Amino acid sequence: MRQFLTLLLLSAATPAIGQVSATAPVAQAVEARPWYRPNHVQVQTAGGMGLIAAGVGYTTLRDRLEADILVGYVPEKHAGSTLSIATAKLLYTPYTVPLSDKFVLRPLTIGIYGSYTHGTINDEVKGQYTKGYYWFSTDTRIGPLLGGRLSYLRPTATPTDRQRRISAYYELGSNDLYLVSLFSNANRKSLSPADVLTLGLGLKMDF
Amino acid sequence: MSFSTSFRLRALSCAAALTLLGGCEILEFSPNAYNGSKDQTDLTAKHLARLAANPLPPGDTLRFVFSGDSQRFYDHAEKLVKSVNQQRGLSLMVIAGDISDFGLAREMRWIDERLSKLNIPYLTVIGNHDQVGNGREAYQHIFGPLNYSFIYGDTKFTFIDTNSREYNFNGKIPDVPWLQQQVSNLQGAKRQVVMSHVPPDDGDFDSRLTPAYTNALATAPKLLFELNGHRHSFRIGETFNDGVTYINSASFERDQYIILTVWNDANDQPKYRLKTVHF
Repeated sequence: MRQFLTLLLLSAATPAIGQVSATAPVAQAVEARPWYRPNHVQVQTAGGMGLIAAGVGYTTLRDRLEADILVGYVPEKHAGSTLSIATAKLLYTPYTVPLSDKFVLRPLTIGIYGSYTHGTINDEVKGQYTKGYYWFSTDTRIGPLLGGRLSYLRPTATPTDRQRRISAYYELGSNDLYLVSLFSNANRKSLSPADVLTLGLGLKMDF
Repeated sequence: MSFSTSFRLRALSCAAALTLLGGCEILEFSPNAYNGSKDQTDLTAKHLARLAANPLPPGDTLRFVFSGDSQRFYDHAEKLVKSVNQQRGLSLMVIAGDISDFGLAREMRWIDERLSKLNIPYLTVIGNHDQVGNGREAYQHIFGPLNYSFIYGDTKFTFIDTNSREYNFNGKIPDVPWLQQQVSNLQGAKRQVVMSHVPPDDGDFDSRLTPAYTNALATAPKLLFELNGHRHSFRIGETFNDGVTYINSASFERDQYIILTVWNDANDQPKYRLKTVHF
């Protein structure tokens, strides 16, 4: 419910403006709208990016490459302190499978993300540790993403309008610290890739 | 309600958790969060309850396993469990902190998934790595209190957080007044043991508190020894030449653990025997 409300708010705040043909070259599409205006908005849960996260993103290379920015929130009861998480994603979706007039499947999306977490309790203060005491960052995570999505094509005013769609997506991921645990010599037998997976679920609206 | 609890499949509980948000580990809000498994919480209390349900006959010697620093050594943890389960006459295992490497809930749960296969209950004290980021909160959620004590087999165990650096040496960790209170009163036990992660001669221990801390141990009645981790290698000795024996465990990586047997002699003085097991 919360996700839908947030999505509604976000979609109301950023009215769709594209009057560009869906088949038009990318360069033309970029010219038609101000460079800073996002191509989509999204809301997501989990995936290490917050109980709820919302953001905007840009699309290029004929909808194949996306750069998204999200801000997520974790309430204190789930982490011991309230966390806010800023995440940047770079996603590549190599192919599209039309299912019908209204539905399109994008079975594969690969990508990477980096995130910064604000609000952790024992965040390093100056002079607390000697150099290299902990080799890893407690706040900054980086990790791979692998997912897919199903899109519903929203009706457009004229057949030449830019494709507007609403998509439900999933994203499997992990992060640097989990991967270090998985790939260290001491855990060849014990940990399996399934142990280090995270799952994010979200809705994305392209306009 | 009974209908939903009859489902045992993890996938189904995960699907149900989608609507509730937070009951499924893969749907992780943040690696620093501890939403996920509802079973792996309050483990200290659960293991103490198991101990209480199996009291040792009065006058019996007590045998327990001691190790520390399980951090990121999952293969070794599995081997350790197999070895410990072959030993006889053990009552419990104690682990001197650094359960995790990055202070993340999922790491603590990975270790528990392996140690929960022990035939005996295990009890932990928090280490410095368990306090990174929101680790201290994750530890308290998954395991329990940072400072606690219990009595089993006529032996009082006092576990205390000595990771002073994680509090940026605020002068309050370790909580010496609490320690004093615990070790000065045996509460009916015949001997006692103290366990903490960072040993008091280490640079990560608040040196301003070292004299008061070591004095509390030196004056503690019927104290057998203090157990420590952090250094990743075995060591035993009277570090401060004050009659208190400090025993440091090797890390899980070393494929060894210690079995301690404790009893009181004819003069009611506490005695112990130490055995190192390599596996």
